[in-house]
Amino acid sequence: MSADSHDHHDDHHHELPFWQKYIFSTDHKTIGIQYGLTAGAFLLFGFFLMIVMRWSIAYPHEPLPGYLSWIFTEDWKARWLADGKVTGETYNMFGAMHGTIMVFLGVVPLGFAAFGNYVTPLQIGAPDMAFPKLNMYSYWIYLVGGLIMCGSFFFESGAAKSGWTNYSPLAGYADRQFVNQLMTGQTQWLIGLVCLITSSLLGSVNFITTIINLRAKGLTWMRLPFFVWAMLVTGFLLLLAFPPLEAAGIMQLMDRMAGSSFFMPTGLYSKADGVLDISGSGSPLLFQHLFWFLGHPEVYVLLLPAIACVAEIIPCHTRKPLWGYKPMVWAVIILGFLSFIVWAHHMYLTGMGPVISTFFQTTTVLISVPSVILLTSMLISLWGGSIRFTMPMIWAAAFLPMFGIGGLTGLPLAFNLADLHLHDTYYVIGHFHYVVAPGILFGLFAGVYHWYPKMTGRYMDNFLGHLHFWPSLICMNFLFFPMLTQGMAGFHRRWYNGGDAYLEKGAEGVNVFGLTVLDKISWNEVMTASAIAMAIFQLPFLLNMVISYFWGKKIENDNPWDATTLEWATPTPPGHGNFTFDPAVYRGPYEYSRPDHDEDFFPQWEEPKRSQSSETPAPKEETSA
Amino acid sequence: MEIPFVVNARKDTGLFNSKVAIWLFLASEVTLFGGLFSGYLFLRLYADYPWPERTLPVLPGLINTAILIASSMTVVFAWAALKMRNWRSFQINMAITLLCAAAFMVLKSIEYKAKFAHQAVRLESADHPVLDFAILEGHLHKAEIGEDGKLHHAQKDDKGNYSDEAFYANKIIFEADEFVFPLSRHAYGGFVDTIIEQAQSQVVPVTGALKSFFDSVEKNKSKLGKKELKQFEAAQKKGSILSSNLKNLLEEIKESKISEVSDELMALSEYPITLAEDFKLYEIDEDGKRKELEKKNIPAGESLSKSVIAYAEKYFLKAKSEDAQLRTHYLKSAFAKRREAGDDRDGWQIAQSPEFLELQAENAKQIKKRSYSAPGTITFKAEKPLTLHLDPGYVITKDAKQLTLRDDTTIKGTMGDSSMFLAVDGIDFRFTAQRAEEKGIAPEAAITKSWVLKQPELKKIWDSHQEWLRAHTEMLDAKSDKKGLKGEDRYVPTDNEKYRVNWDQIVAYQNYDHKGIYDRAKATINNEASEKCLEKPGWIAGFAGPNHKKMSFPEVTIPRENIGFESTFTPKWNTYYAIYFTITGLHGLHVIGGMIVLGYYLFFGRKMYESNPEWLANRVEVGGLFWHFVDLVWIFLFPILYLM
Repeated sequence: MSADSHDHHDDHHHELPFWQKYIFSTDHKTIGIQYGLTAGAFLLFGFFLMIVMRWSIAYPHEPLPGYLSWIFTEDWKARWLADGKVTGETYNMFGAMHGTIMVFLGVVPLGFAAFGNYVTPLQIGAPDMAFPKLNMYSYWIYLVGGLIMCGSFFFESGAAKSGWTNYSPLAGYADRQFVNQLMTGQTQWLIGLVCLITSSLLGSVNFITTIINLRAKGLTWMRLPFFVWAMLVTGFLLLLAFPPLEAAGIMQLMDRMAGSSFFMPTGLYSKADGVLDISGSGSPLLFQHLFWFLGHPEVYVLLLPAIACVAEIIPCHTRKPLWGYKPMVWAVIILGFLSFIVWAHHMYLTGMGPVISTFFQTTTVLISVPSVILLTSMLISLWGGSIRFTMPMIWAAAFLPMFGIGGLTGLPLAFNLADLHLHDTYYVIGHFHYVVAPGILFGLFAGVYHWYPKMTGRYMDNFLGHLHFWPSLICMNFLFFPMLTQGMAGFHRRWYNGGDAYLEKGAEGVNVFGLTVLDKISWNEVMTASAIAMAIFQLPFLLNMVISYFWGKKIENDNPWDATTLEWATPTPPGHGNFTFDPAVYRGPYEYSRPDHDEDFFPQWEEPKRSQSSETPAPKEETSA
Repeated sequence: MEIPFVVNARKDTGLFNSKVAIWLFLASEVTLFGGLFSGYLFLRLYADYPWPERTLPVLPGLINTAILIASSMTVVFAWAALKMRNWRSFQINMAITLLCAAAFMVLKSIEYKAKFAHQAVRLESADHPVLDFAILEGHLHKAEIGEDGKLHHAQKDDKGNYSDEAFYANKIIFEADEFVFPLSRHAYGGFVDTIIEQAQSQVVPVTGALKSFFDSVEKNKSKLGKKELKQFEAAQKKGSILSSNLKNLLEEIKESKISEVSDELMALSEYPITLAEDFKLYEIDEDGKRKELEKKNIPAGESLSKSVIAYAEKYFLKAKSEDAQLRTHYLKSAFAKRREAGDDRDGWQIAQSPEFLELQAENAKQIKKRSYSAPGTITFKAEKPLTLHLDPGYVITKDAKQLTLRDDTTIKGTMGDSSMFLAVDGIDFRFTAQRAEEKGIAPEAAITKSWVLKQPELKKIWDSHQEWLRAHTEMLDAKSDKKGLKGEDRYVPTDNEKYRVNWDQIVAYQNYDHKGIYDRAKATINNEASEKCLEKPGWIAGFAGPNHKKMSFPEVTIPRENIGFESTFTPKWNTYYAIYFTITGLHGLHVIGGMIVLGYYLFFGRKMYESNPEWLANRVEVGGLFWHFVDLVWIFLFPILYLM
């Protein structure tokens, strides 16, 4: 502990009032937890919407059962359900909002904002974020944006229902019958989105500045934990990819509110309105370009925090350095760059032309190289380690094959010929849900189990943990694997009735893979049952979070996993300002099982003994201004 | 706890925190505006109409460019002054920066305002080979229906007020008798509000019985209240009064006992819209039978109000919800019965089976007995025809007897004269020419058939323009000959010159017979004696655009069926104005944001200057960087929007 530590902590003694400490807090840890809890709530809501949709897919002719419909008022049911059954319109609304909530309000805030906020400043030895107030605004703007989006469920128009991608001209035209266009779900979606983009902009500026400027003494770039690297790249993706979508959002807002035709083509006709009273000459393709310019980097914004968590957990719980740390760092940087030039592989079927398709096909195949480097390095890290099957490690271990399936099933979609058949089928849904649900969410679950002891001073319960993990793993696979085969059989991703209307027309229609809809339609019920079961088996997790907070096993010391990175050098839970000493870093992040060291881990902050001359001492520089 | 590197730079990065942050923020701003600029490119490259080139007045744009560059310099001087600890100099330079920003915004808003007040119409004629597509630009004056039954420019009285009958003729006018409102789309203000509002502001002419009544009141008018007296005098003068004002006035006359008011007179002030027939409510009694809820019915004759609609709507939704519960119950029971009977197939197969359909048919009978079956619409009648002025964008379908509005409200009655009355200050055939070329028709042939050239006043202008064009083309030919240019290199008139008549040309042509234009155009080109030349607007007038108060322009009445599309010069008019407003609007917001931040340093920075001047200098530096960015965006915007 350095001598001048006292002047960093002189304001520790006076307690902040409740609202400042827990509500309008500027402490990155509190904000991280706020983000985590809010995102968790949004995730549960998005999950619920999905179960209603799955019911409609499996049992399109039957009313929603009581356990799904109790949440709706009778008025709402009268408006949006037909005799208790889910209508196509309602299915679209839930589908659009499921996607929106899961991506923009759930996984990104949980991965980047919650974990990033809590762990990053700790891992780099900073007292807080570079701009604590900005951090607070970022959270509140996010919350407001989320509530605006979800609030529109109560509107006459209902929430947005033009898909989470909000493609024009559908999205520009939707809810047109309402006199007051501002108070429609489709417009509110855009306003909410502008809030979310503003929030993520503030967040990413803050993260990158913090990582560049607030690293502890001696924490050089190649001594940064991989987690921090991943957050840095994620920050840049958010910083640079989101604003074009904001531009698109503003233009679509103009289309809806000011009657412009940015994305509305000439001669647009609808059965209800006839030829629309617009100037036309807009480009629907432009919206798709701007959307996917964000949309694809967004995939890596979702993914990198999960990889970041797993990359921290694997070395710690296998007692072995991360294999290929440097290649991983370079891979994640290259991944970041490449992710900006692959976007149009979402648009092979838009008729943008074979030359452009070929370019994006090439870059898309290229980006699998850094992805594979990341995954393989983590896989090889297991080799020869003394794996401790703790809860975080089990989740992290499951992440590897699950994300592997997700990644590999993406390869056929990268080729535009194969994509011609698979586009807009359940195959695509299966692919990206493998990436996001058993992939990313498992990685983030691993993170929760790993850092929970630092946040609360107690371990999460193992029994409940297993009760959460195993059923989740099984249900995930029963839910998502059939999607892949259904997709190959030609199941369209937007059939709200699961394909039975299609059966009436051509039940025997054989597809190119020799599979028919009739063969695969019974899987719908299995998948729906799995989804419901999966919901039930999230209860042990929720219980675990609460029970362990009060009665969980207390941790023995501040570094319960015997880890090496700086967050474990803080008191538990860390106070305002984080460190009780002036942190300095003497070595790389994953010094496990070093033969020249007595213990099997050598923390970054531990001063080297004089005899160990190979260690570089921390450079002597002032850290504070 | 103190965050490091707030004031001083970190040694290895050489930057303090906010400087890192501003560069990151600006990077994201680059991609934000990048998105918009690529939007501009996309829209321009794929535009299917003649993209408006150089339509904005260049001079104010140029001045604005200079202003922003100057302010970018002064903001650096302000920062340097802080670094040298010279507060006075900081204040002066920062104040200049802010004044520049304010001047920028003023010029910008003048430019915006002109666009909002300027009307454009794309014409459409069914019998034209390319559906016309000529564009008329102009100004909407208040119009009146004259004795000949046609629209005329409304005249102001000596106090400078228009009469009550004067209106902007750009709406759909409809004499409404009956309204059918749907019962589920009125939340947050539907058209009910508009209709009620217009019912209260119908124009009542002061003639016949009303006139003689007013004359009888004349001598006792001093007994009226101040507001009523004003209304009374105005009505006498104009010869008309708004129905809501008349009602108020008559009630006042009655109350202050100036005179008796007969029911017939009172009826003149009212345009009641009443419920056509009883809106019946039902309940399901204990035996499960439908029974009328007489006491709560809305009786026929109830006048239209937002609360009546809300009441009906609430009941409608309640009934719908009860019915839905009933049907849900029966549907569930049908499935349960089939499954109990041992049918273990998938739901979709059960739903198709004859046994299931039989059960459902049985259920349907039960449901019919117990259903509320609330009507989905409510119908009101106007006791005397009500003149509505409706925004064309809200009217989906229209015919002589019926309108459908966007929210499915149906209005029955008689279509009025919905022509547009426009003072034309621009004629543009470029779209017609483009469409003709696409179809392989000679542009001139298509233009000749346009509705525009059937209007004598506009025809005269167009003929004058041909004369001018002849002179202009000769000038270009002479220039080409002089330079010895051949083939494609020769100078030719641009599409703009050929197919578009600008406002200054209209002003110039109007004063002369079209046959003389050729000579005058020649004289103008050759810079001859001024009295023979065509008038050219001075540079200030060129910047301000057509002044409809000082200059006169030909006025035309465009029948509704010839209006293909109309808008003011707002984002609605075309994608050029859409991107122009969006991108300059966003830029304007950035200017305002910058002004707030820099203004804060100027007006509230003193305290920080005294305690930590370096910190303030850092902030001004960061604010200045942002300001440079705002300047830079404008430097890109100016050429693409004004010059290209």
